[in-house]
Amino acid sequence: MNQAEPLYELLRSSPAVLEAQGSQSARDGFDLRLAIRAKGMPELARLFKEHGCFLEFITAVDHGESLELIYVFSAWLRPFRVMARCPASLMEPSPSLVEVLAAADWQEREVFDMFGLEFAGHPDLKRILLPEDADFHPLRKDFKPGARHGGDWFEGETA
Amino acid sequence: MLNIFSEAWQALLNFFGPLALVLVVGLVVALTYVQINALFLVWLERKVAGHIQLRIGPKEVGPFGVLQTIVDGVKLLSKELITPRPASWLLFVLSPILVFMPVLVPFVVLPFGENLQIRDLNVGLMLIFAFAGLNVLAILMGGWASNNKYALLGAVRSVAQNVAYEIPLLLSAMSVVIMANSLSLRAIVEAQQGLWFVFVQPVAAVLYLVGATAETNRAPFDIPEAESELVAGFHTEYSGMRFGLFFLAEYTNMFIVASVATTLFFGGWRGPIADGPWWFLAKVYLLIFGVIWVRWTFPRLRFDQLMNLAWKYLIPIALVNLLATALILKLVR
Amino acid sequence: MLRKTLTDDTFYLNMGPQHPSTHGVLRLLLRLDGERIVECEPVLGYSHRGHEHMAQTKSYLRFMPNPSRMDYLAGLMYNHAYCLALERACGVEAPRRAQYIRLICAELNRIASHLLWFGAYLLDLGGFTPFLYAFDDREDILAILGEVTGSRLTYSYCRFGGVARDLTPAFPQMTRAFIAKLRARLADYDTLVSKNIIFINRTKGIGPISREQARDYALSGPNLRACGIGHDLRRVEPCSVYPDLDFQTVTTNQDAGIGDCYDRYLVRMGEMAQSLDIVEQALELIPEGPIRAKGVPQEPAPPPGDYQFSYESARGLLSIYLVSDGSRVPVRMKWRTPSFSNLSILPLLLPGTLVADTVAILGSLDLVIPEIDR
Repeated sequence: MNQAEPLYELLRSSPAVLEAQGSQSARDGFDLRLAIRAKGMPELARLFKEHGCFLEFITAVDHGESLELIYVFSAWLRPFRVMARCPASLMEPSPSLVEVLAAADWQEREVFDMFGLEFAGHPDLKRILLPEDADFHPLRKDFKPGARHGGDWFEGETA
Repeated sequence: MLNIFSEAWQALLNFFGPLALVLVVGLVVALTYVQINALFLVWLERKVAGHIQLRIGPKEVGPFGVLQTIVDGVKLLSKELITPRPASWLLFVLSPILVFMPVLVPFVVLPFGENLQIRDLNVGLMLIFAFAGLNVLAILMGGWASNNKYALLGAVRSVAQNVAYEIPLLLSAMSVVIMANSLSLRAIVEAQQGLWFVFVQPVAAVLYLVGATAETNRAPFDIPEAESELVAGFHTEYSGMRFGLFFLAEYTNMFIVASVATTLFFGGWRGPIADGPWWFLAKVYLLIFGVIWVRWTFPRLRFDQLMNLAWKYLIPIALVNLLATALILKLVR
Repeated sequence: MLRKTLTDDTFYLNMGPQHPSTHGVLRLLLRLDGERIVECEPVLGYSHRGHEHMAQTKSYLRFMPNPSRMDYLAGLMYNHAYCLALERACGVEAPRRAQYIRLICAELNRIASHLLWFGAYLLDLGGFTPFLYAFDDREDILAILGEVTGSRLTYSYCRFGGVARDLTPAFPQMTRAFIAKLRARLADYDTLVSKNIIFINRTKGIGPISREQARDYALSGPNLRACGIGHDLRRVEPCSVYPDLDFQTVTTNQDAGIGDCYDRYLVRMGEMAQSLDIVEQALELIPEGPIRAKGVPQEPAPPPGDYQFSYESARGLLSIYLVSDGSRVPVRMKWRTPSFSNLSILPLLLPGTLVADTVAILGSLDLVIPEIDR
């Protein structure tokens, strides 16, 4: 891990961060793991942007009973990768990062497409990979592939 | 049925007199020649392209694949003629016919040899350019009638391109005309007794060849049918022999512009020894070979760059060249 | 954003999903004013096959053939990345010889991918001939890779803890002959294409991307390096045996480069030359020894936790994020593919350009649609 990394202390002291953890082993690929408040994400993203980092990807994980949003930031030209995670809910949209980082646009649309998680403030949140009339979110654990999902683009195929 | 033919024949006889027979026979020969020429050129193009591209080109049908295009022609003939429902039916069907018809007329005045010319008109060159200008109307018609946005864009590009490139084409031909003092193609060839005009008028020759390449929509000026942008341009919706007619017209046009170039700049049927139509044909096909070579070597220009080239460079140069020619001739004579 | 009623003289043009220049099934919804583009919206998903969902339904081992189907032009690199990700997660290291073999094959695959891009890009610009030249060179690579891996397009050659089989005796000689041939060819391409006035007119100053925009949209790979940011994961976070090798990161000049289509072209051509150097050195350095790690389980099962691995594929930053519960089947496997981010900048680049430029810009981003759609 890169101890001289300037972001290291800044992130530990940021109010948006609930808990910061250094990497546990060389195996996981992250230099820093943050547990954060979803509301503080735009502020954190701004911090990353100012300190030469880019948004590598946004994704979510369905743990069965709860959903979790994962943001991965990585630095330009130096080996430094941070993962920020926050609990997400289908009821309550998380704030969108599009205002801060344009890369978040499609990443958030993909998360919405695959998990149904919404982002408040996204200019054009709609499906990106699946057809617009699909009524399911395939990476959620309650998705049953092959079952008839109502939309007429599954014509004639019943499980 | 027969009545109509005999009446038409009577009308022709009344109008042209004994020339009618020459015209009819000539046109039949020209029509046959157009087909054979297109078959040969398509084969030549594919073979040359093949060798330029580390391939060998067609080789299965006939010796060296010469019969390949005949087989392809049969395929085209047997294909369904699709008319898109939203297309304007009459214009859509008329367009390929109108593209093909004018390309036959120049054969009336093309001097293949000293005595091998259907009719030598004193406005021969004008006749060719007038009829060459017609096909742009037909292309616009086809592109518009297809009711397809790609076809429409292709047709619009085609009109703009043809209008722009006809000017340097005519201007460069004009400088030859003042030198030969005639619009008759035979007179122009005869004026090059000692020296081909390409040596006297090199600028005009280059301008003519560039303009002719653009006029026939060949790469690097194949903007109207740029397949990577506009799918197939103005003939996107055409299938079967209707597409075949566009194709035939394109290759015949190539032959015509190369023939005119041969007549204007390369001494027509004259050669170092044994003047005759063989020299004419050899020069024409050599020029066409050059055009094919260019096509398979260069990428395509962008539309606005093409327009810039015509309006900002070719036309001023052609004008200056024409004026200089006129001035020098005035001083010399 | 789009699809509002048009009251002015503009009109919509659907470019794709079936179009010669969208290289697959991308659909661009363009709003045009004559030939000038007012607005552009890419519509994705026409070749979405649900690879991430497939990953959740089968074991790590059975997912092995899938990665190379995402980016079929750099299949071996995806296969390589997947194996490296699994190995790091499980704490397994492949023997040196296997690592060198993988690296040589991956770099050859990178050259093949760039060559295909080169040919297809010239085809987009209307030059048909370079396409067949590029395919001729690429055919040699496919023959070499076919010799050692047994397949030509979608490889499952890298395995958990090693490679499927050792190099054949003919391999080094075939590769050296190819390196010599391609070096000569690259010089030819330079004179025929890089200095061609029409090519320069079509690409110089077209679709420029500033460094700020590139950072904002998280571009990666040659598209990013063409903007003057020399971020190459082979150098920044070297994996496998990359630290042993001497090569340059190809970028445009910090001041002269404006990240236009021509810069992207130059960077890719430069990368091919660098990859040739890498392969040549690796062929010298390759040690003798086993090709599979001893005592690795047939079915990998990383300990509970989440793992991330990043790799510099032919098109840029490829990230794999795994969540494991300790079983043989992942809870979640996220693939961050480079083209997905690279394409997202297109709506910013297109407005104000001509239809012909659309093709030039789209082609210069080197997109592989199945990789975007996954």
